[in-house]
Amino acid sequence: MAIRVNPGYIEVLDKFGAEDVQMCYQCGDCSTVCAHADDIFKFPRKSMRQLQMGLEEKLETSLEPWLCYYCGQCSEQCPREADPGETMMSLRRWLISRYDITGIANQFFNSRTREILTVLLIAVLTGIYLTFYGISGGSIHVYDGEGAFLPSSFIHTFDLTVGGIMFLFLWLGALRMWYFSMVKGMSIPVPWWLYFKKLYEIPFQFITQKRYAECENNGNSKLYMPWLVHFGLASGYSIMIILIMVFVEPLQAGPEIVWPLHIFGYLATIGLLIGCIYFVRQRIVKTKHVQYKKTHSTDWMFVILLIIITVSGIVQHILHRTGYLEAANITYVIHLMAVVPWLLRMPFSKWSHLIYRPMAMYFAEIQREAVVRQQKLVDPLSITIK
Amino acid sequence: MRTGVFFCQVDEQWNIDIDAIAKYTLNLPEVESVQNLGINPDIDLDKLSDSIKSRNLERIVVAGDLPGYFKPVFTKAMAKSGGNTKEVRLASFQEHGAKNGHTLDRAKAIVACATMGVPFSLAAVPGGNPVNHATLVIGAGIAGIQASLEIANAGKQVYLVEQSGTIGGHMAMFDKTFPTLDCAACILTPKMVDVGQHEMINLMTLSKVVSVSGKPGAYRVKIKKRARRVDEEACVACDECVSVCPIKVESEFDAGISFRRAIYIPFPQAVPNAYLIDEENCRYVTSEGEKCGNCVKKCPKDCINLDEEDQTIDLEVGNIILATGYELLDISHIDQYGYGRYPNVLTSLEFERLTNASGSTGGRIVTKTKKVNRKTKEESWIFSPEGIPPRSVAIIHCVGSRNKKYNSYCSRVCCMYSLKFAHLIKEKIPNVEVYEFYIDMRAFGKGYEEFADRIKSEGTFVIRGHSADVSMRDDQMFVRGEDILNDRLLEFEVDMVVLAVGLIPSPGTEALGRMLGINSDSDGWLSELDYNGNPTDTDKGGIYVAGMCQAPKDIPDTVAQASAVAAGVLGSLTSEKGIGNMSSLSLSEIEEKAKSVHTL
Repeated sequence: MAIRVNPGYIEVLDKFGAEDVQMCYQCGDCSTVCAHADDIFKFPRKSMRQLQMGLEEKLETSLEPWLCYYCGQCSEQCPREADPGETMMSLRRWLISRYDITGIANQFFNSRTREILTVLLIAVLTGIYLTFYGISGGSIHVYDGEGAFLPSSFIHTFDLTVGGIMFLFLWLGALRMWYFSMVKGMSIPVPWWLYFKKLYEIPFQFITQKRYAECENNGNSKLYMPWLVHFGLASGYSIMIILIMVFVEPLQAGPEIVWPLHIFGYLATIGLLIGCIYFVRQRIVKTKHVQYKKTHSTDWMFVILLIIITVSGIVQHILHRTGYLEAANITYVIHLMAVVPWLLRMPFSKWSHLIYRPMAMYFAEIQREAVVRQQKLVDPLSITIK
Repeated sequence: MRTGVFFCQVDEQWNIDIDAIAKYTLNLPEVESVQNLGINPDIDLDKLSDSIKSRNLERIVVAGDLPGYFKPVFTKAMAKSGGNTKEVRLASFQEHGAKNGHTLDRAKAIVACATMGVPFSLAAVPGGNPVNHATLVIGAGIAGIQASLEIANAGKQVYLVEQSGTIGGHMAMFDKTFPTLDCAACILTPKMVDVGQHEMINLMTLSKVVSVSGKPGAYRVKIKKRARRVDEEACVACDECVSVCPIKVESEFDAGISFRRAIYIPFPQAVPNAYLIDEENCRYVTSEGEKCGNCVKKCPKDCINLDEEDQTIDLEVGNIILATGYELLDISHIDQYGYGRYPNVLTSLEFERLTNASGSTGGRIVTKTKKVNRKTKEESWIFSPEGIPPRSVAIIHCVGSRNKKYNSYCSRVCCMYSLKFAHLIKEKIPNVEVYEFYIDMRAFGKGYEEFADRIKSEGTFVIRGHSADVSMRDDQMFVRGEDILNDRLLEFEVDMVVLAVGLIPSPGTEALGRMLGINSDSDGWLSELDYNGNPTDTDKGGIYVAGMCQAPKDIPDTVAQASAVAAGVLGSLTSEKGIGNMSSLSLSEIEEKAKSVHTL
């Protein structure tokens, strides 16, 4: 099969953050220290090589970038300071832009201005729409129920619409990923029943992020902190999504919220808050973890919106509870002005790894078994393989 | 000839006043235009050729620290504008030793020569001082020995100064040389004996150069000679004293894998062939004469004088040869290879001593055995002749070399000696598996590529891919690495790991260079005058570099360079021109000389 080489590919990836790929001289130290590299998925060295050679098609169909959690061991070990960890991160960004059929992700990753303008535009439009809706249908002095500024039944429909658009794009992306990796990139047959056999991988990896915890710990502490923080953030996130998509009506209604919802709401808020603080601190203080040394502009947009959402949510909750209903309504509009662009932006940003990562691991496990079935692994040196 | 001068610079840290040079250049005859393009300029070919055409330039001078980097674009532009591409000339400051702010005048002279089309080395010939016929050689490894013998055989006086108790240096520690697999000692020891017996060589072991003053051709050198405390002439190396010495320390000559006493001889063929006292560890010396003194009582020749004192020697010499050699990079902090944690991870030098027939195991390659001290119950791992041979050995190349965190350069000898190790292991142990992990195989010399092919055909697994992970599980070492050419990751059991450790200048090289006024490069190696055209001379007249202290090189190159240095020294002794410092030449002198060459 002929493979097309794209000589300008390395410059394309430079925009996504892979700046030092040319330094790599293929020693393989990075693959050696990686906790996730194995005989079938060999990275980061191989991905670095494909990148250097401009094998765009090979990388487009590869799942390796999604198997990397950026523990930073490879970048620390690299004798050439070629930063393989950041390269894998950049490849993930690039893959997101490849999975996205609209081309929006590509625009966001390549132009900070366009991203900021788009986010601002959506925020303003949301604000105008909600304000007009509120003024036309209700009164600013009422928080919920009859004649409310933003009644919960309306918010529920609104949330579901926005969330639906988001999920539509996310799953379209996942479908493209499947097409690239399992159809375009596979040269060996994949039995259909493997898709069912490995199905458990998706919820399992989504909930536990087990592979992240397996990352090398640098021997600094018993618990792998980045995993713990990520786990807290992701759980807070998922709980919050479920709360606002399903339970927004009882939640908004006020004092009579049933206690489990209450507790989950607080738990999720704490998870998000800690995640935000950790994220900002790591990036400003630039601690020992290599993975925080470089920050793409899109990363900051994510965290800024998240902070606005969390803080405005908390403020709104307090205002509502203490009876400042007008202020609570205004804060609610501000809150939603951040929530809408944040949700709509997700399929086109790094955040989409929420779906892509478990899916990639699912596909990877299928590929692995398919390869083993083909008995492609003949070992002439009779060396034990992990 | 209408000349245009372009300044471009590669090194960002380079602090030379380009504006001053440019101003000077503008006043030179025939120079039409001067442009400073800055650091690592992005040169536009079309614009450049247009400007050459519009100014009607017939000659271009590209000036800078490493102008050769930019020559291709200037040549293209010259061709495009229809000029003579042979008239693109380089004014390389780095090459001719104008490396910092102090050498501004030399940089100007380099540009001036280039604008006249005169090679700098023809115009700048220092000379003048009459030369003292004695030569000082610092360091008595193979480079120092070779240079001393060449000069002494021509009938000139040589003072050979060596820091340790014997001459021979690192080569004396080696078992075999690559690629011929000759016995290193068979080549070296006759030369060592020659040095010891030569009437024109005054050998000073345990000595150090303390200060150097004077000018080229007449250096005054002060040497501190540490007390040997054993009479070199009287000692017959009978080994009686060793049995009564209570002190036991790691042997430097055995790279720390065996032990010696405080009175010792580095190795049986040492020159001078006499014992010496390690004053840092000797109980008599450290207790200031209070305790011990057993060896004095035991010595049948009465040649031990534990109270001998250090001496200072003053010398006058005309030329000085630096041959201070190298040492291994300290890898105790590169922890992924487990050196220091796992007993059977060895450095290359340790392995060299292990496999050497004069080593502590008699040349048997064995793994370390555990030894428990009966009194303290302390466990230690030592090599003993009864040890078990390893079943598999991994040799990891480029440890600390070609690595931006440690040595960014290639140490040049590791690939070849690692292949040699593979051969020696295969030769001595039947059914052993040897794995070489390499990044790039640098077999650059005569017969080296053939040697590498031969090792591969002997059944050594030569794996393209580095290993960065040595681990231990249940008392078994594992090596993990990527086999790039076979496209897979490997992890397998090994009993021994040999690390091909990178080389650095021997300690004190930089201080010695500073004392003599010779620059070191950023890695600490001493700077020669011109890497291509004059690799033996330095900035200072009458001071030369030979062997590893200039840059990593193998034994053939070291010997060749040492002989070349000897030729340079003898040349200065026989010509009537005398020698001088390159830096003592004034700008106008070089200009005058260049003009006279130019008009020829």
